[in-house]
Amino acid sequence: MSLKEVTIGYDNVTKVKVGRKNPLAFIGGPCAIESKDHCFMMADKISEICNRVKIPWIFKSCYDKDCRSSPDSFHGLGVEGGLDVLSQIRKNFKVPVVSDFSDPSWAPATGEVCDLVQVPAYLCRQTSILRAAAETKRPILLKKGQFMSPWNMKNSVRKIEAFGNDNIILADRGTFFGYNMLVNDMRCFPIMLETGYPVCYDATHSIQLPTSMGNISGGQREFIPHLVRAAVACGINVLFMEVHNDPPNALSDANTVLDIKFLENILVQAKIMHETRQEILEKYGEDNVHPE
Amino acid sequence: MSTQNRISIKEVMLPLGKFPVLSEKSIFTEALEEMCNFKLGIACIVNQTGTLEAVITDGDIRRKILNVQKPMPAFFVDFAIDHGIKNPHFINENMEINQALNLMEEYEIWDMPVLNEEEKLIGLLHLHPVVKALLR
Repeated sequence: MSLKEVTIGYDNVTKVKVGRKNPLAFIGGPCAIESKDHCFMMADKISEICNRVKIPWIFKSCYDKDCRSSPDSFHGLGVEGGLDVLSQIRKNFKVPVVSDFSDPSWAPATGEVCDLVQVPAYLCRQTSILRAAAETKRPILLKKGQFMSPWNMKNSVRKIEAFGNDNIILADRGTFFGYNMLVNDMRCFPIMLETGYPVCYDATHSIQLPTSMGNISGGQREFIPHLVRAAVACGINVLFMEVHNDPPNALSDANTVLDIKFLENILVQAKIMHETRQEILEKYGEDNVHPE
Repeated sequence: MSTQNRISIKEVMLPLGKFPVLSEKSIFTEALEEMCNFKLGIACIVNQTGTLEAVITDGDIRRKILNVQKPMPAFFVDFAIDHGIKNPHFINENMEINQALNLMEEYEIWDMPVLNEEEKLIGLLHLHPVVKALLR
C-alpha cells in the first residue's frame, strides 16, 4: 500500500500538506457560520493559538447545517452568505477553509470557494453527493458514517476515484453503539489507512450523544482529551475539532463544541504525541505485526 | 511418440470464458462468486491489457481466513488481488504437455494459467481435462 499526500489550499493561502510523514494538521472552527463577525473573531483566536503551537491548520465552519434534529434549529447563513464569509476568512487570514455541503447542487459553489470540501457523515455513501464532491476537483474530507464500518468506506473512496478525484481524507466521527450513543473504534484508522489516503479524527462529533436531548444532541466533552491522545497514537494525520468561544450559546452543536480556552492545551498534547509517534516508528520500525 | 507428446496445451486448456478471470478492481466477493460459477478453485486476475497480474486460489482463501481473522464483510470489500499470489506460476502455450505436468507436480498444483507469446492470458490448464485427454 502506498501512502498518499494531500495538499489543501489554492492561490495564496498557506497550503497544508497532510499524510505520509507530514506534521499533524488541525481543522477547526465553529460548527456553523453564525455571523461574519463571529467567524472573524474565532478565526483570529484559532490562528493565534495555531501559530503559537506551530500546527498547520484549516478553518472549518459550515454555511448550512442540513442535519439538525429540529426544524427550528439554526441552519446557518446559507450557501451564498456563508461562502462569502468563508471567502473573506481565507483572504484575510491566508488560511484554507472547509465547509460541508448537503445537496449536490451546492457543490460547485462550495468548491469555488473552499480549499477542502466536506462530505457529511450521513451522506457518505450517496453517489450523487460523492460525484458532486469529486467534480469540484478540490480535496475531499470524507466523514465515515456513524452506521458504516471502516472497511466499507473503501466503496465510497472507489466511487470518488471513479469520478476522477484522488485527493481524499477519511475521517472518523464515531460509530453508533446502540441508540443515542457513539463510540470510537481506534482500529478504524489503520483500516481506513489501507486505502492509502490520510486519516482524520473528528473529536468533537465523536463525543456526541446523537439526539439524546429530545430534539438536539448531547455530548460528553470530558472525553475529548483522552480520545484525541488515543487517536493520534493510532496514526491520524489530521485532527478535527469544532471550537467556540461560548459553547452554551453556540447556535449549532452547543453540547459538543470545545471551549476555545481548552484548545491550545489539547493541540500541544496532540502535536507532541504525533511527533513522538513518528520518532518511535523511526527508531523501532514501522508497525509490522501483520498476519500473512 | 507418447500420448503426452501428441496433446498440445491449447487442445486441453480451458479457453477464456470457461474459467474465472477478474480485473484488478474486482473485489473479494466477486472472486468467490466467479470461482463458484465455474466450479474451479482458482481465478486469474488480469490488467486492462489482459496481462496476468495474479491468481487467487481456494488455498489462498483458506489460509487468509485462518490467519487474518478479520470480519468477513471486511474481506469481501477488499480487492481480490490483495489476497492473491502476484507473480504466479504459469505456462506458455507452446510448452509441451509433459513439461506442464512436471511443473504441476513440482509445485503441487493442478491449475496453471496459460500465456501466449505476448504474455497475455489465453487459457487455464486444469488437471482434469488433461487426465481425461490422456486416458482417451
